[in-house]
Amino acid sequence: MSSRGSGGRSNGTLPQTKICQFKLVLLGDMAVGKSSLVLRFVKGQFDEFQETTIGAAFLAQSVCLDDTTVKFEIWDTAGQERYHSLAPMYYRGAQAAIVVFDITKPDTFERAKAWVKELQRQASPNIVIALAGNKADLSERRLVEYEEAQTYAEDTGLLFMETSAKTAMNVNELFLAIAKKMPKTDTQNPTHAARHRGVNLQDPDAHSSRACCGGN
Amino acid sequence: MFESRPVHSAVNGTTAIPWRSSRRRLTLLEQLRGSQEAWCPAGPWDREGAHAAICGTPAGSFLVVRDSATSLPNVLCVSAGGGNETVDYNIKSTGTVFQLSESRLSFSDVTQLVLFYSLTRDVLAVCLYIPHWIYSVTEQTRDRLRQLEPNTWLCTPPDQQTDDMTQREPSNVMCSIQLTSTNGALCIINPLYLREHGDEWLTHRATAAPCATQPSAYRRERRLSTTRAWAGAGLQNKRALSMDQEPSAADLGTSGLIRAFSADSPHGPTSTPEAPAGVVLRRPSRDCSPPHRASSGSLTPSTPSTPGSSNRASLELTQHGSPVPQSPHRVSWIEDGVWLPPPRPSSLLHPPSLELDSLSISSIEEEQEYHVCSSTSLYPSAHRLADKVIHRLSAVGQALGGLVSQKKRLTNRVNELSERKGAAFAEAVKGFVEMTLKKGGDPGEVTGSEYLQEVRSSLSSLRETLLDYPEIQALLDSITDFNDSEIDSLVELSLHKVALKPVSAHLYCCINVARTNDGSFERLQSNLHVLEKNGAEELGGSSGVGVPDSVTLERIQQRWTSMHEAYSPNKKVHILLKVCKSIYHSMSANASSGKVFGADDFLPCLTWVLLRSDVVTLHVDTDYMMELLDPTQLQGEGGYYLTTLYASLYYISSFQPRLAARQLSVEAQNSLNQWHRRRTLHCNQSRRSENRRTIRRQTCRDKREQNSEKRKEEESEREGDSVNNESQQQTESTAEALQPLQEETSGERGAQDASQDASQDASQDASQDASQDASQVCTAASDCHQEDTTRSKQEGEDHTVL
Repeated sequence: MSSRGSGGRSNGTLPQTKICQFKLVLLGDMAVGKSSLVLRFVKGQFDEFQETTIGAAFLAQSVCLDDTTVKFEIWDTAGQERYHSLAPMYYRGAQAAIVVFDITKPDTFERAKAWVKELQRQASPNIVIALAGNKADLSERRLVEYEEAQTYAEDTGLLFMETSAKTAMNVNELFLAIAKKMPKTDTQNPTHAARHRGVNLQDPDAHSSRACCGGN
Repeated sequence: MFESRPVHSAVNGTTAIPWRSSRRRLTLLEQLRGSQEAWCPAGPWDREGAHAAICGTPAGSFLVVRDSATSLPNVLCVSAGGGNETVDYNIKSTGTVFQLSESRLSFSDVTQLVLFYSLTRDVLAVCLYIPHWIYSVTEQTRDRLRQLEPNTWLCTPPDQQTDDMTQREPSNVMCSIQLTSTNGALCIINPLYLREHGDEWLTHRATAAPCATQPSAYRRERRLSTTRAWAGAGLQNKRALSMDQEPSAADLGTSGLIRAFSADSPHGPTSTPEAPAGVVLRRPSRDCSPPHRASSGSLTPSTPSTPGSSNRASLELTQHGSPVPQSPHRVSWIEDGVWLPPPRPSSLLHPPSLELDSLSISSIEEEQEYHVCSSTSLYPSAHRLADKVIHRLSAVGQALGGLVSQKKRLTNRVNELSERKGAAFAEAVKGFVEMTLKKGGDPGEVTGSEYLQEVRSSLSSLRETLLDYPEIQALLDSITDFNDSEIDSLVELSLHKVALKPVSAHLYCCINVARTNDGSFERLQSNLHVLEKNGAEELGGSSGVGVPDSVTLERIQQRWTSMHEAYSPNKKVHILLKVCKSIYHSMSANASSGKVFGADDFLPCLTWVLLRSDVVTLHVDTDYMMELLDPTQLQGEGGYYLTTLYASLYYISSFQPRLAARQLSVEAQNSLNQWHRRRTLHCNQSRRSENRRTIRRQTCRDKREQNSEKRKEEESEREGDSVNNESQQQTESTAEALQPLQEETSGERGAQDASQDASQDASQDASQDASQDASQVCTAASDCHQEDTTRSKQEGEDHTVL
């Protein structure tokens, strides 16, 4: 909602960078840790890029890549089978998707494969899909082998990482990998990007805030 | 300036200390000086002796013991009350300065130190207690002070006390400083100011105020009655209350004064002086928390918020002879033992609601939330307090900071343009309204969504017309406080007011007809009965997820109602977000902390709420929002929750218990894909037009920035970028956008033709007739009975919205 939007402000702190906004949809079976994964990503970032949202089903977070600020609008979906038919409403127009499964539950991996298939068939043709084997901290209870998922991802052209929302393992890396893969020329909202740079020019102090993303 | 840390106790955060009596009497400092032999005895008194004497006295009773060698005061012995506990504080004297060793505050003599600590406790456990009878000492009786002994100091003779009370209460003009630690706020006072300037200025104001002459008993009685009514009384009456609360000039004076000291005092008993004793509901208190009170030097026991205990507390106060305020204002003044007209927190800090609140839609809603909070928690938390302060500050800030004025200016200007005879925009609006009301009535003609689609594209072209006006461009360029999406939203809102408001009832009607015809409503309602017994867990929510309780559910229903009443889709989304927020709140209310509730739980909970709501009306509103919202506003949080609302309604209406869930998806997906395609097309269109606007605005900016060469360079670079982007997007969307573009232009042409036909003079009448037509259509169509009322409400609401 525009009246709540603080995107302008947070983006506005970055001078002379391209601002790309992407819609990212989260898919995966119930309780595989979709929300935890995203929350870990969002909370682990710098607050100034974080927008306040009313709940964890929709989150927004920006990351910095060299000269580009990539802003993700993250749309969570309900993983229950009964709500499967609603998913197209959420992934329509999404430029990126993270399909999450639980490495301790093979059926969630099968479900993830089904999601990938559906996305490749129905979602935007250029959608960047990442596969996340979550709960990597429970590797002693692992039932989906890393190699298996890795091979599948390679075959279908996905980004793949095993993640742990609990230990934060690979969480930022996953999002950064997606951000790098996004087409930077296709800014979601060129007008905003252009206008915000206009604002930034008048605020030379904003340069100092650039250092923030070096750590990633 | 002295910094004080006020008395902290679980319930009672107030300490009121008589400061000094009228000029004919001695100042407290003089009186303390006079009686120094009593509280700071020389000679044989040592620490043990002091302890023995203090033992059993009220909390705060004290003696200062001198060092036997230097005979300088070196220990302050203070009774902790209760048993025989005494706390010692070392007094350091360095050169000419005295201070408690725990504190950094220094005083030039020990009397000042004692005086200060009788007012504010700083490092002490309690304030020092000064016997009341000392106030009755006058010049004549001054000599008697010198004869006092420590035991007399500590033990007030009963006869003297009574004497003092009867003497003092009705007639003396006395001033007190009250400190409070309610909600843990830090209080800062400056006793020196009083000493320097006296309290005459206060007295002047007091006499100007109507209540100063009223007997204190009356006041106390009324206070009790207001307290009693607090327990649960009329929280809903707020709006009416604050209207009643226009402060008189005198009140403004005093409350303005107090406002300077008290950052907030929303739960003080604002005993409105001009109100008759019985009028209790008029107090705009938003808190049910009990008033906190204390008496001079001694801490009253905890006072739960029952009338009985309030009575007790008041009685206790009377015994002390110092009628003590109930109100936990940060610093308050007593005149003649009676409160000055207290500040009117609700009418000043929280400005007369219908004026300021109306400017910010959210604040009305927010207030409702506070109502609920306060009815459940007896003791206000500092957190909530902070929220209130912020809320108020932001309300004021918005008013002063020009947000409102700019918003209003834009709205007014757009409104003016829409009424300017012969102006292109006015003609376009008129044409739009007429066309919209004419179409859509026939069930066979167009289906609901296609019709709404046309409405949306007409709205978009109206916006373009609007943005072509240089004066609107200039106005938008002058708005610097908002980001672009907020500016877009403002433009949309002002457009909705002139274009959508006259037709919204008609649009509801059309949606209603279309959804009735395609069977959506029937499916929705029949499935409602199948599903409504399901709990959130049966709907797929994880165990432990909470659902709204009945109170919250009631509030949600109210919000749905106001969502329906809003004609602007943007406003509707705004209200939807508020509902979603309270659902989140309920979800996590009983959950273990740290539990994250994402869509896995939110969707089931929203569905649970919808199953207990008027799904038909909600469906109408959802269609309305989805089709009429500016495409750029479909992104972000609003877009997400609107999608979720749509998804949830879709889940209910397409629920088929015996079939596997997958089988539904064909139908669902077809419908959604259609919708998506439509919306994407419009989105592209809209972006393109936004680019056009941006470039235009960019040029303005360029002009402004010509003085900076560097900036100019980057500017042109940027413009190049955005041109590139534009052309890129255009190529992308050309193929898809072709069809709707044609639609749009033909629609526009039609609208203009129609408006030319209409007589210009009769333009207003025509639109009124048209809306009457619309009502007739509504009555003809089934299930449209609510629309008229909705519309009339909207007219009322209109003042609040924009």
